[in-house]
Amino acid sequence: MEQFFTNSEQVQNIIKGFNLTKTLFVSSIIIGEPNIGKKSLARYLFPEAPLVSGANQEEVEALLQEVNELIITDFEKLSNQESLDLDNKRVIATANYVGNKQIIDNLFAFIYTLPSLKERPDDTAYIRDLFLKEALSNLMLQDLDFPIKEIPINLRNNSKSLKKSIYQYLMNHSMDKKNIQEAIYHYILKHLEGNNGYKEYLGLYEKPLIEAGLKKFGSQLQLSQVLGINRNTLRKKIHEHDIN
Amino acid sequence: MNTTSIDFQAFLDWDNSPFILFSAQGKILYLNNSAEILFGYVSKKELYDLALAYAPQNFGYKTTTLTLNYDSFTFYAVTVGYENEEQISIRFYNAPRTKSATPIERDKLVKTDINLLLEANIALFKTKNTNALQLLTDPDLPSFKLDQNRFSKLLRKTLDAFRSSDSIRITLKLLVGEHVIISGKKKPIVQLTVEANGRYSDTDEEIRSLATQSHITVLLKERTIKLEIPLIQ
Repeated sequence: MEQFFTNSEQVQNIIKGFNLTKTLFVSSIIIGEPNIGKKSLARYLFPEAPLVSGANQEEVEALLQEVNELIITDFEKLSNQESLDLDNKRVIATANYVGNKQIIDNLFAFIYTLPSLKERPDDTAYIRDLFLKEALSNLMLQDLDFPIKEIPINLRNNSKSLKKSIYQYLMNHSMDKKNIQEAIYHYILKHLEGNNGYKEYLGLYEKPLIEAGLKKFGSQLQLSQVLGINRNTLRKKIHEHDIN
Repeated sequence: MNTTSIDFQAFLDWDNSPFILFSAQGKILYLNNSAEILFGYVSKKELYDLALAYAPQNFGYKTTTLTLNYDSFTFYAVTVGYENEEQISIRFYNAPRTKSATPIERDKLVKTDINLLLEANIALFKTKNTNALQLLTDPDLPSFKLDQNRFSKLLRKTLDAFRSSDSIRITLKLLVGEHVIISGKKKPIVQLTVEANGRYSDTDEEIRSLATQSHITVLLKERTIKLEIPLIQ
């Protein structure tokens, strides 16, 4: 069964409203940004209800004739909204945006707005942990060797970008020498051209080398000793790569 | 025709229009059933003053056309009369209620616990607003038939009118002794009152139209919305 976790009072009120009307024949719509859990919420609340996408207009029409409980996702994609008859049916729709406010207002008894992940920090932390666990297992990684908080949280596309940023971070942190060489190989294969290639792509190696070195050893003097290069050469390279 | 032996009181008792007999001091000597309900919404003094204001100059009876509103009561005229210095009577003429042209769509009515719809709408309201809200309901109200979807829309719009109000109070109760006639049958009335320190009136027309379609009488006042819902079982 689908699980849905939330600490947000607003979302808890939405769930309460749905639970109260679960046995009634009312139509409801959940509106909110893409990838914030609208479909998961509908599934969690109505695990048995058939589910159809609004992109599939004919199927929506057919199902509305056949069943009296239905989840319609991507409602904004339906082009015949005003001709639908949702009376005396338990319809739960989800939409990324309100197309025609008047039509939505006429069709639905309950119009819920699901807050985006940015507005639900507790929920975001929960989803991040969930994704992290899943990613660790999918990438066959052992436990983390860095604090969770270091993972940057990208919510530009809500859960989708969050998931991507976790995978990317884990991949970057678990690469071995061979992986790194392979990554650089593919990158160069794709981009190498012109007549100054050597110098241009040397930064791929030099910049992270100096940045990490400075972080690890603190002073330029010490780093130049560790790297075995002249202090002036190091200073020149720092300047060249625009390193602070 | 000799009518002295006929007792007319029962006819008066059951007259749908309120009738009150006052003493010269403004005490109630007699009132019929309908007037009894009217007193739930207006003070004795106000009606007595009204009787004096519209009394004929000499003994006799005078009918004045005027519009009076007391809660759900609407009158279009009053008759005030006196035959001696001791008693004065006033009778109110009920204005006909506008009848909804739409017939009841019985197949759309489903037996419903109205408290569920009310609670769900309050939950929806709370997702958008943080105003304090007080609910006083009668949990013993029987389930009755409603068009759930349409009634929910009506509730949503009604509550939305209070989206920036303070101290919202919602009361749901059975109106004792009052009925509404639907399809020739007497139905009890459930009254839902939402009141606050003020409200928006931008959707009043939509509220009125949704209510009319559901045979619900709606009273839209400056700070209150009252829905009188027929209890169809």
